[in-house]
Amino acid sequence: MGFTTKASGLLHSHHSKPSTAEMALITQQDKDFIAHFAASQHTLPPEEIQLDPRNKELGRSSKGLCVRDFELVRTLGTGTFARVWLVRLADPKEEDRDKVFALKVLRKVEVIKLKQVDHVNHERSVLADIAGHPFITTLITSFSDHDSLYMLLDYCPGGEVFSYLRKAKRFDENTARFYAAEIVLILEFLHEREGVAYRDLKPENLLLDAEGHIKLVDFGFAKRLGNSKRRSFTTIFRRRTNSRPVLPSSDSEDSLSDYNKGETYTLCGTPEYLAPEVIQSKGHTTAVDWWALGILIYEFLTGYPPFWNANPIEIYKHPLPYRPRHLSRRTRHHPPILHRRPIPPPRQHICGAARVKSHPFFKGVVWDDVYYRKYKGPIIPQVRYPGDAQCFDMYPDEKRSRDMYTDELRGKWEDHFKDF
Amino acid sequence: MSYPAAYLQEIESLNTKVSESHPTDILQFCANFFAKRLETQRAEFLLSSPPAQTSKMSGHTFPGRHGTNPNPFGGEAPEQVKKGAIGKVMEEDENDTMASPTAPSFSNTTFGSSFGGDAAGEGPPSSFKQTSGDGFPAHYGLGRRTSVSAESLNPTASSNDHWTPPYHQKTEEQITRLQKSISGNFLFSHLDDEQSGQVLGALVEKAIPAKGIKVITQGDEGDFFYVVEKGSFGVYVNPSGSLQPGPEGLGTEVATIEEGGSFGELALMYNAPRAATVMSAEAGSTLWALDRITFRRILMDSTFQRRRLYESFLEEVKILSTLTKYERSKIADALETQKFPAGTTIIKEGDAGEAFYLLESGEAEAFKNGVEKAVKQYGKGDYFGELALLNDAPRAASVISKTEVKVATLGKDGFQRLLGPVESIMRRTKYDEGVEEIDPLQKK
Repeated sequence: MGFTTKASGLLHSHHSKPSTAEMALITQQDKDFIAHFAASQHTLPPEEIQLDPRNKELGRSSKGLCVRDFELVRTLGTGTFARVWLVRLADPKEEDRDKVFALKVLRKVEVIKLKQVDHVNHERSVLADIAGHPFITTLITSFSDHDSLYMLLDYCPGGEVFSYLRKAKRFDENTARFYAAEIVLILEFLHEREGVAYRDLKPENLLLDAEGHIKLVDFGFAKRLGNSKRRSFTTIFRRRTNSRPVLPSSDSEDSLSDYNKGETYTLCGTPEYLAPEVIQSKGHTTAVDWWALGILIYEFLTGYPPFWNANPIEIYKHPLPYRPRHLSRRTRHHPPILHRRPIPPPRQHICGAARVKSHPFFKGVVWDDVYYRKYKGPIIPQVRYPGDAQCFDMYPDEKRSRDMYTDELRGKWEDHFKDF
Repeated sequence: MSYPAAYLQEIESLNTKVSESHPTDILQFCANFFAKRLETQRAEFLLSSPPAQTSKMSGHTFPGRHGTNPNPFGGEAPEQVKKGAIGKVMEEDENDTMASPTAPSFSNTTFGSSFGGDAAGEGPPSSFKQTSGDGFPAHYGLGRRTSVSAESLNPTASSNDHWTPPYHQKTEEQITRLQKSISGNFLFSHLDDEQSGQVLGALVEKAIPAKGIKVITQGDEGDFFYVVEKGSFGVYVNPSGSLQPGPEGLGTEVATIEEGGSFGELALMYNAPRAATVMSAEAGSTLWALDRITFRRILMDSTFQRRRLYESFLEEVKILSTLTKYERSKIADALETQKFPAGTTIIKEGDAGEAFYLLESGEAEAFKNGVEKAVKQYGKGDYFGELALLNDAPRAASVISKTEVKVATLGKDGFQRLLGPVESIMRRTKYDEGVEEIDPLQKK
């Protein structure tokens, strides 16, 4: 892993302007780093990801890269203000020809217009902190140019769980359990180690990697909730990249009991998956992800979410406690988990991962084996070559009419994007 | 020998692409190009052809390695393993709302259909779902769902700006009417008096002088919610999803909104395109308007303050003193506000203890059977019934409100759900010195 030493110190801030030759060198080193990041990837235990002692280059902003260093192959997905491309290195070395990535491109003007500046910054910083988790997309690096922000992510060739689910109509209980179990570990990690609420769980945001394991993507709504300890630690750690960080001795009780005590108020998510306290604007916590997991399992098993209407207002009007429709009519075909309605029982979704893990639905699951990917994925994507994107749907080309990122906007907002 | 025209056309566009992009890996580039062309062309074909009946999916839907040992994801029955992870999906769907044969995702065509067919080159599904409005019936929401988001806001109390909600004077009668109009709405029904007072105060009058004025326009971004004070308004929906130019552009009138009615409520949650156009049906109408940011700030600030208040109350509760700050904030999170008029028996001696109460405002008194006078007085910040959270003992006294009271309450179930493991820690706390004096509800 020679690149570790080469790249260290280069991927972060450059206060003095480097010369053109230096810049070219930096760019080349950044390119080498991203081309080989995967070589150093093996599943780390969660506490090591949290401290990130080894892969410290992952997720850091790059000053050397620009979009011209990549060849945009095709679109993998679109959002309201972002587009994700399958990319390869432009002018790759012979051995790097097969290296592919997902490049998420956000247009600054759209981000501003849709008032998502805070969310975009949260996304980058959360992803940078958690890079390395086996079931979460890895932010390799980020960069920006005059009008766009870029996040370079690992490419998950399996496509969206959404596509498989819609095609299959339903998953059987084992399949649902497999994905649910991996998601439980994701949420445990995000909530209880990182103090992060994800806030947009749904089949559309779950990708499959080549082996059929979950990768959670799109952290556009992820937010750190009152976990100041960890944040300041990260900051210190990032400044001293070359020395192995000294762990704070009180890693135990104190900092663990400090997690996700915060609440947040911004309404965001997906209508079918919004927890009642989000709809009612009561302030919400990481618990909203457990609510969404309940909806997700329901959708896995039945093929549709429990609360649905073409008009979102009608979804929100569902009285509490929620009573999913059609349940009795279907139960004879449905697994016992739906009889018991355990995750979440109405208004009882305030719980930690330990409680979810001990639920009868997960009986027999060896959680360490889940984490270390010992279980075989129930769906193995058909991937023919490294850059194969046949598992993804096609998306229409970008619309032409684009608002300009004017000098006026730049003057007002550019500073908000400096972390990229 | 000449080539087919369609072929030449494809080659020509490939040539153009190649000369435009100067790819380094020619073979890869061409492969991508044709793969993309194929998918686009088939997708177009799909969109233009009538949807066909869903195909029965074969059992080999997900060929691949299944766990051979019995494991929680593999199923015990080997038969099921063979059948495939999602094998039993087609059992019972004839009259099933979601199994619409017209749903775009399940169209059976030449492309991408035989999901369980032979594996070579067989990709997972392309569901081809366009967002609704692209000519597809959004039948059972089978398409990708778009995320929604409001502006991110932070509580005023946690920053330095001093925001107070706008206040617009209204008559007593107007207030009563507005209250009636919004009380049934899910966005307002759970507000407490303070919040709904602020919301009512923030509604601003908007005169609509003429007939035919579009208050909201289908497809536009929405920021305001409206209540009709005077006049009437027509609701029009154009099936295309947005207002179109021309006389037919409004679409069809689907409803009329009269005095006391309201519209545009979704705009109070997040910015979404308006689902309809609303136009004044007569001159001299009046509306009350409320914008999203104001509404959300009112809710957020008061919720934030109440939470901090609860947290500080909880710090004083003796049996909770061994909990961490985080655990207390979790309880604060789960507390629910209730109001009782003066003279209400909140808990009754001898009843099973179900919940714990914090007195948020007002006064209450505890009485015991056979004792003439109140045995204890409660004021703001006091609490009662907390031992019910630990013991199954019946209530040792009754608590009756002396004035109108506002209490924050947490049920035993909720408490144990939140703090199940901590309960034992709490039990360890020495709680014997003078419990009787502290809480008359404790029964020996």
